[in-house]
Amino acid sequence: MSSYISITYLLVFLPIVALVFTLVPRKAKPFILLAASLVFMYLCSHYWIVYWVFTTVSIFVSALLIEKSKKKCKEALPAAENKEQKKAIKKSFARKQLLLVTLIIVANIGLLAVLRYSQFFVANFNKILQVCGTDFQLALPKFAACIGISFYTLQAVSYIHDVYKDKIQADHNFGRLALYMSFFPIIMEGPICRYGDTAQKLWSGDRITYKNFTFGMQRMAFGILKKVVVADRLNVIVTSIFREYQYCDYDGGIIFLGAVLYTIELYMEFSGTIDVVIGSGEIFGVTIPENFRQPFFSKSITEFWQRWHITLGTWFKDYIFYPVTMSKPMKKLTKNARKKLGRNYGPMPASIFAFGCVWLCNGLWHGAGWEFLFFGFYHFVLISLGSLILPVSTKLFEKWHIDRNKLPYRIFTILRTAILVCIGEMFFNSRGLTEGMKMFKVLVTQFTLKSFFNGAIFTMGIDRFDYIVVLAVVLLVFAIGLMKEKGISPREWIAQRHVVIRWSIFFAMILIIVIFGAYGTGYIPIDPIYANF
Amino acid sequence: MDRLIEILEDIQPDADYETCTTLIDDHILGSLQIISLVAEIEDEFDITIPTVEIKPENFNSAKSLMAMIERLEDE
Repeated sequence: MSSYISITYLLVFLPIVALVFTLVPRKAKPFILLAASLVFMYLCSHYWIVYWVFTTVSIFVSALLIEKSKKKCKEALPAAENKEQKKAIKKSFARKQLLLVTLIIVANIGLLAVLRYSQFFVANFNKILQVCGTDFQLALPKFAACIGISFYTLQAVSYIHDVYKDKIQADHNFGRLALYMSFFPIIMEGPICRYGDTAQKLWSGDRITYKNFTFGMQRMAFGILKKVVVADRLNVIVTSIFREYQYCDYDGGIIFLGAVLYTIELYMEFSGTIDVVIGSGEIFGVTIPENFRQPFFSKSITEFWQRWHITLGTWFKDYIFYPVTMSKPMKKLTKNARKKLGRNYGPMPASIFAFGCVWLCNGLWHGAGWEFLFFGFYHFVLISLGSLILPVSTKLFEKWHIDRNKLPYRIFTILRTAILVCIGEMFFNSRGLTEGMKMFKVLVTQFTLKSFFNGAIFTMGIDRFDYIVVLAVVLLVFAIGLMKEKGISPREWIAQRHVVIRWSIFFAMILIIVIFGAYGTGYIPIDPIYANF
Repeated sequence: MDRLIEILEDIQPDADYETCTTLIDDHILGSLQIISLVAEIEDEFDITIPTVEIKPENFNSAKSLMAMIERLEDE
């Protein structure tokens, strides 16, 4: 099973699980979900599931040990004769707990690093040896990883960290923790869930209701529509531009078109898959956190990352940004900087350092390659510049009496953000940083709209009809996004219509997928972006 | 409470801290302001604010901030 949007998942795996889940008594339902999740992981990863077993067992045991230590600490406190003794007892237990939690986090992140990044680091080490004139080269390590290792490792880290920080209680039920770590709809592409938000509901064993079933099916149909009709259709031209541009005489206009179409393709594929994921969860009564909130309505790069891959962003914020900025040296830096640089710029040094850590991790998380590190660096620079410029631009706008809430200015900032995002995605999808740089050079130095008027854009794998279909669905997604921005829930709106209208909308979506879906000869289905993460 | 409001006004002057209960939800306080705020509060009230306390329900109003400060002072 390589994708959620596949016949095997949609027409075989999911219906069988839903059927068995419905037939068994309530007490057995969570075990069915757990068994289905383990089967799903085994089908994808075979025996490499052993890595997942290591992570899950390690956090289960260590969370219980931390809980035990905290309990012992509480029991020891009444024996203390004064405040100093109490502090010493607390410190002694806290040190042991910190040691354990650090060990577990380092072991699991270390495992992820070895499995996903060792090849990248060894390849670069070999290059350094080559530059130094040595013939000696290390053999490139090749490791197979378990499906979803990047996702479940982050979930594991958040669980053990939250137990250590008393945010949640350690789970005494191994099955519940295992289900939180493996739930089949989220294991392949996320979203990254938090134990406190999902684990209890996953284990509740509530039966499938009519509303959950229909809402889940609608959500899944919409996701399939986005992926099959738009993303798979655009894959042909995007592959053509990104993989063959050096052999063809593409101008800057075509490169820009490629960047825009790749961004649309990526959004439709990723958000479409997340729709299927959330819809699958909804069928079983589980609320999976949203991963997108109309990202292309963002007025800045910072806002974009608060709306795109939300769960990854909040994970980095909670477990990297704030721990770094709230560390003792950084707090001291902020206090001193505030005295010297003032209110606006005082927190900048600490936050820019923390942003650097976040975007280094974000780049690495997306892949082991310089283009991904550059992708992180690119956003780090844009966000840092945005923070540095903001106090100055605020003063200038006040001086020039420019109202930033006026529609033309808002549209300008939305378009500016979208263009910056598309350029970032161009580097992301390039075959290495050198290729990305070459494409960027062509984009800037040879920009022309000639190809848009001489019909060249209709000869790269998709024709006029394909563009019309893509545009129609993009406009539909835009309209739905606009409704959400105005606080209207399209799904609740549909739910309030007559039963005939409701089912007509659902069947219309199915028909659109069947008639306009990009499958068969001439189309290449896009691989899920995070399938091997 | 007065001292807290003074700190808040120094960090971000454009808000009515007596009544506002959506400082985070309405993006009046962003991450940069929170970094400054934590450093100043720790200094002023001689407490340590752990990262788990940095959540909207603690930072959405001056009242909830004060409640968090008092709780941490007692610990």
